[in-house]
Amino acid sequence: MIKIKDLEKIYRTEEVETIALNKLSMEVKDGEFVAVMGPSGCGKSTLLNILGLLDDPDAGSFIFNGIEVAKFNERKRADLRKHNIGFVFQSFNLIDELTVFENVELPLIYTGVKSSERKKRVDEVLDKVQIMHRRNHYPQQLSGGQQQRVAVARAVVNKPKLILADEPTGNLDSHNGNEVMEMLTDLNEQGTTIVMVTHSEHDARYSHRIIRMLDGQTVLENIMV
Amino acid sequence: MFKNYIKTTFRNLWKNKTYSFLNIFGLAIGIACTALIFLWVEDELTYNHYFTNRDNLYIVKDQQTYDGTTFTFDATPGPMAGAIKAEIPGIKNTARSSWSDQLLFSVGDKSIYDYGCYVDSPFFIMFQLKFIKGNAKTAFDQLYSLVVTETMANKFFGTTDVLGKSLKVSNKQDYIITGVVKDLPENVSLRFNWLAPFQILENQNEWMKDWGSNGIITYVEAEPNANIANINKQLYGYIQTKSPETTAKMSIYPMNRWRLWNSFDTNGHEKEGRLKYVNLFSLIAWIILIIACINFMNLSTARSEQRAREVGVRKVLGAVKGKLILQFIGEAIFMTLLAALFSLFIILLALPSFNTLVEKQLALNIFYPSHIGGLLLITLLCGLIAGSYPAFYLSSFNPASVLKSLKLKSDSTGLIRKGLVVSQFAVSIILIISTIIIYQQIQYAKDRDLGYNKQKLVYTGLNSNMKRNFSVIQNDLMQTGVVENTGLSNSTVLQLGSNTGDFEWPGKDPAKQVLITLEGVSPGYIPTMGMQLSSGRNFYSDIRSDSNNIIINESLAKIIGKKDAVGSIITRNNGSEKYTVVGVIKDFIYNSMYSPASPLILYSDTSGVNYLNLRLKQNADIKTALAKVESVISKDNPGYPVEFNFVDDEFNQLFKTETLIGELAGVFAVLAIVISCLGLFGLSAYTAEKRTKEIGIRKVLGASVGNIAGLLSKDFVKLVFISCIIAFPLSWWFMHGWLQDFEYRIQISWWTFLAAGLLSLLIALFTVSFQAIKAALANPVKSMRTE
Repeated sequence: MIKIKDLEKIYRTEEVETIALNKLSMEVKDGEFVAVMGPSGCGKSTLLNILGLLDDPDAGSFIFNGIEVAKFNERKRADLRKHNIGFVFQSFNLIDELTVFENVELPLIYTGVKSSERKKRVDEVLDKVQIMHRRNHYPQQLSGGQQQRVAVARAVVNKPKLILADEPTGNLDSHNGNEVMEMLTDLNEQGTTIVMVTHSEHDARYSHRIIRMLDGQTVLENIMV
Repeated sequence: MFKNYIKTTFRNLWKNKTYSFLNIFGLAIGIACTALIFLWVEDELTYNHYFTNRDNLYIVKDQQTYDGTTFTFDATPGPMAGAIKAEIPGIKNTARSSWSDQLLFSVGDKSIYDYGCYVDSPFFIMFQLKFIKGNAKTAFDQLYSLVVTETMANKFFGTTDVLGKSLKVSNKQDYIITGVVKDLPENVSLRFNWLAPFQILENQNEWMKDWGSNGIITYVEAEPNANIANINKQLYGYIQTKSPETTAKMSIYPMNRWRLWNSFDTNGHEKEGRLKYVNLFSLIAWIILIIACINFMNLSTARSEQRAREVGVRKVLGAVKGKLILQFIGEAIFMTLLAALFSLFIILLALPSFNTLVEKQLALNIFYPSHIGGLLLITLLCGLIAGSYPAFYLSSFNPASVLKSLKLKSDSTGLIRKGLVVSQFAVSIILIISTIIIYQQIQYAKDRDLGYNKQKLVYTGLNSNMKRNFSVIQNDLMQTGVVENTGLSNSTVLQLGSNTGDFEWPGKDPAKQVLITLEGVSPGYIPTMGMQLSSGRNFYSDIRSDSNNIIINESLAKIIGKKDAVGSIITRNNGSEKYTVVGVIKDFIYNSMYSPASPLILYSDTSGVNYLNLRLKQNADIKTALAKVESVISKDNPGYPVEFNFVDDEFNQLFKTETLIGELAGVFAVLAIVISCLGLFGLSAYTAEKRTKEIGIRKVLGASVGNIAGLLSKDFVKLVFISCIIAFPLSWWFMHGWLQDFEYRIQISWWTFLAAGLLSLLIALFTVSFQAIKAALANPVKSMRTE
């Protein structure tokens, strides 16, 4: 699904040049669940942003589903993204002005799904993450665990091939954290590829493979048994 | 998708109530103000549009050049109208008209003065007056006929069914009403309540048959395809073919320019009249709208961090930039629509005061295509201007960084925001300075020494027997104990109507004509007015003894050039009339309040007088004094209601245009500063909020409330300071130009700028300090916890 070769990303300010990704290469296969770990500033988030087509690399190749996307323009990236990739963030990133239902509905609106179909699919997925009873509430009326479940629902409502999770349990207690991890595992078992950035060894154990990063490069890979 | 946008918009509005209110209120004031100005502009631009035939209507202009200076008048000789219609091709119709005059009309015990003109009957057809009763063809078949407006018919008879009824004019002659016409709207150049045949006037005044006397108005209707340049070419030397010694050069001047141009320089070239102000106010309307839009831009970009996450999420979920731009512009347009609704209320509330201010009857009619269309256009434009910058800015956020809540690069928007605030305040300061200077100029002109005392000086029109019985009336008036002096005159002192260029004196270059104003007065005139003789004497009280003597003013004395002009001989009509100067009076200001006094001759002759001037005693109470005067005149001259005019009131009326400009500039200045401060208030709240943590740390380290408030206010004060630097030279340049229109004008003084700068600084400081003090007083422990 993902094939990366010699990927480079450099951040420049007036005085400092920071190398975020240094000729990084890696591969993620269809149906895999990969965890990316490493200390702060090692380039995890940059990697995730590029994988999610939110950012473009300065050099190197990125093949997504067999297509070279490293040089895609914004419109093409947005198009590819909305049909194929779901996101889960540490800070949930729900829109405060929209209800639970409307938040989950949003990706379907952008992919042009009809209203009746949208309602069916949103209710389905809300049911799956057991948040149906809160569908008309606003994010700030929910607990952190509930908010993250909504975020997961939003990430999967479009049935993406890939889910990118950025420290999905970082803002949750262990109980809620475990619940979210279970959900991700379920999704993976149903065939969705998952790449997750995390600081938690505990969470990483849910994955098939851990990629450890340092200074913009992969330094070690653990295969989980 | 659309529904989703509306939802987000509404909820965003609701969540940030203060900001939404500041935004919408600011925009509403801006839209209301712009709409009001455009109502006024519309009224000015459609002036005379009531006359559907206006493209073919003209007035004859008369230009006379004296010593290189060209004067432009509407006054023409009586025989001209008939002659040019017959002789010049392309002229379809002509009509003579007297200047609008007040006559006394009586029926039963009702006696009322009313305005109107004597006109030729083609007047009805040329101006397409709408007859309710009677018709244009036969209205003037008889000599003493009268056409009245609906208003006048109702005033006298309570009905418009008045054909055949008669009104007594000036207690002498009965006129039969032969027609009733619809009232004309306010925004036309013609003002009358009655029209009577010009023939009546012509029969009474021999001079109206003379090609050398310019004393009436001539209107012309051209053929639809007439070559106007050709007509003007023939008119140019036309009067000289009839009366070779005259200097008047005629031309026709289109009705479409009567209102907004109708101004001529000393070379006789047309220049912008009122149009100048119409353009200026249209410009100000747009500027006020832009100031309101700036608030919107500033507040939305300042609050952008709040929206950043939404933008990020939407982008992650597949929204492209274009869609987000549409969303935000849509939001802005929605806001301006709300503001437009709000502005309707403001307009309705403000319209009566605005009408009083501009002395018009403007009305907003939202079923009027031009009004609803105009309002929608303003709203849409406003939304586009206000929404475009925030939309492009917000939609350009990189989702990867905003979702990680990294600090936004705010340098560029901060700079733009500051620039916008600076321009808002610069405009406000320019308007404040202009207002001050306009008022200074008006006051300066009003305080000018006129050369006579206008306090407690009143005049009333003379009728019928008053002239003949003047000595009796004068005697009785002096007996009342409230009148200091009385004098008769042809004209009112502020507006001397008659002038001529045909006087000669020894030493005068015969090739050069000097335009001299002529005024017939009684011997009591000079003392009554409080004018000063600089040499010589006043007229003797026996008028006959001074029939060949004149009194001139100092500016004429200077032109004559003798050290002491008393005793000089001035001649007229090739020396057949000889006059001796017996006195020189100090110049007094008449006709133009901004110019020096033009040359003037006073002659002792009461045959043409129209006005009785009264000087009331300084200690007299005006109301009781006038009551006494009125009873005396009514007793000696029964049958005529007495109406008094105060010279100082009429003097103030002469500054109407300037006062209106000053008042409007003042209103705009206040609005501009209010709108700017609404924005500033929002911005300062935002800055205070953003710097909460910094303020907390500073307080923990020992900063006082004053320190903090100063810290937060300092940046804004700097901006106002920069605005001053921009505004000062600009406003100097504007106002210097404006003052060039006045010969008698003030010098712009530096303290005007200082005052305007300080005023705006104080207002800005007051606005900002509210938020700054609030932030400074907050508990530092709390504020540090917020991040």
